[in-house]
Amino acid sequence: MKNRLKVLRAERDWSQADLAQRLDVSRQTINALETGKYDPSLPLAFRIARLFGHPIEAVFQDEA
Amino acid sequence: MSAEPQVSKVSPRARRALIMMIAGLPVGFFAGRWLLGLKRDGHWGGFDPSGGDMLTLVLAAFLVFAGLVTAGLAGSRKALGRRINGDDARAATPAQARFYVGQGLVLILAGAMLAAPPLAVTLFDPLSPLLASAVMTGLIALFLLQTVGNISQWMRSDELLRRTMAETAAVSFILLQGLLFLWAAGEKLALLPALTLWDAFNVTMIGYLAISMLVAWRRGFVE
Repeated sequence: MKNRLKVLRAERDWSQADLAQRLDVSRQTINALETGKYDPSLPLAFRIARLFGHPIEAVFQDEA
Repeated sequence: MSAEPQVSKVSPRARRALIMMIAGLPVGFFAGRWLLGLKRDGHWGGFDPSGGDMLTLVLAAFLVFAGLVTAGLAGSRKALGRRINGDDARAATPAQARFYVGQGLVLILAGAMLAAPPLAVTLFDPLSPLLASAVMTGLIALFLLQTVGNISQWMRSDELLRRTMAETAAVSFILLQGLLFLWAAGEKLALLPALTLWDAFNVTMIGYLAISMLVAWRRGFVE
C-alpha cells in the first residue's frame, strides 16, 4: 500500500518525531510507514487521515 | 562528463553497526583465545562447564550486556532522544525512558534466568537436592517477574512493535517446531545423536534471537 505521509508531513514542516508524538506512536513506526515497510492498522490509518484533514483514500492508496 | 556524487543507500546507523560487527570479529576471536589460554593454564579453578552450558552462558552474557546497554541509555534522556529520534535532537520523554528501562530489566532477567541452571550445576558439583530446589524456586519467581515485565512492555508498545513481536513469535514457532520435528525424527531413526532438553532449548533461544533481529530489520528498525 502506498501513502502520502512523507509529503503531507513535509508540507507542514513536521519531523518524523513531531508526527509520531501527534499520533502517539514511535518515530520508528512513522519511518516504517513512510518507507513502505509497514501498513498501519485501520484505527491508525483513520487517525492519520483525521490529523491531516483528508479522507483516508487521499492519504493511502491500494497498489493493486 | 560530470561525476555525480554517489549517494550511499546504507544509512549512517547501519554503517556504524556494520563497522562495529567487523571490528567485533577480531576482538571476539582474541578474547576467546585469551580465555581458553587461561583455562589451559588452570586459572578457571573448578569452573569447567560443558560445551552446551558454555553456549548458554555466552547467550546469557549477551542478554545481560544488551539489557545493561538498553537500560543505561535511559540514564540520559538527551542521549536516548538521539537514539530514538535520529536527526531530531529532542530529548526522550519520561515514558520513553521508562520503556527502555523496562526493556533493559526484562533482558537482564532473561540472562540471569538462562545462566542460573548451568552455573548452579557447574559451581556446586554435585548439586544437592536442597540447593537444586532453592535454585528452581528462585527461577520460578524470576520467571513470574519476567512475565509481568513482558506483559507490561507489550501494553506500553505501539502497534509496530507489537506486530514485530507477534511476527517473531509466529515465525519462531513454525520454523523451530519444524526443526525440532526433523531432529526428533532423525533421532528416532537413529540417524542423529540424542539432544537433551537443555540443548534443544539453547537452539530455540538462538533461533528466536536471530529471527527477532531479522524481523526487526525487515520492519525498518535498523535504519
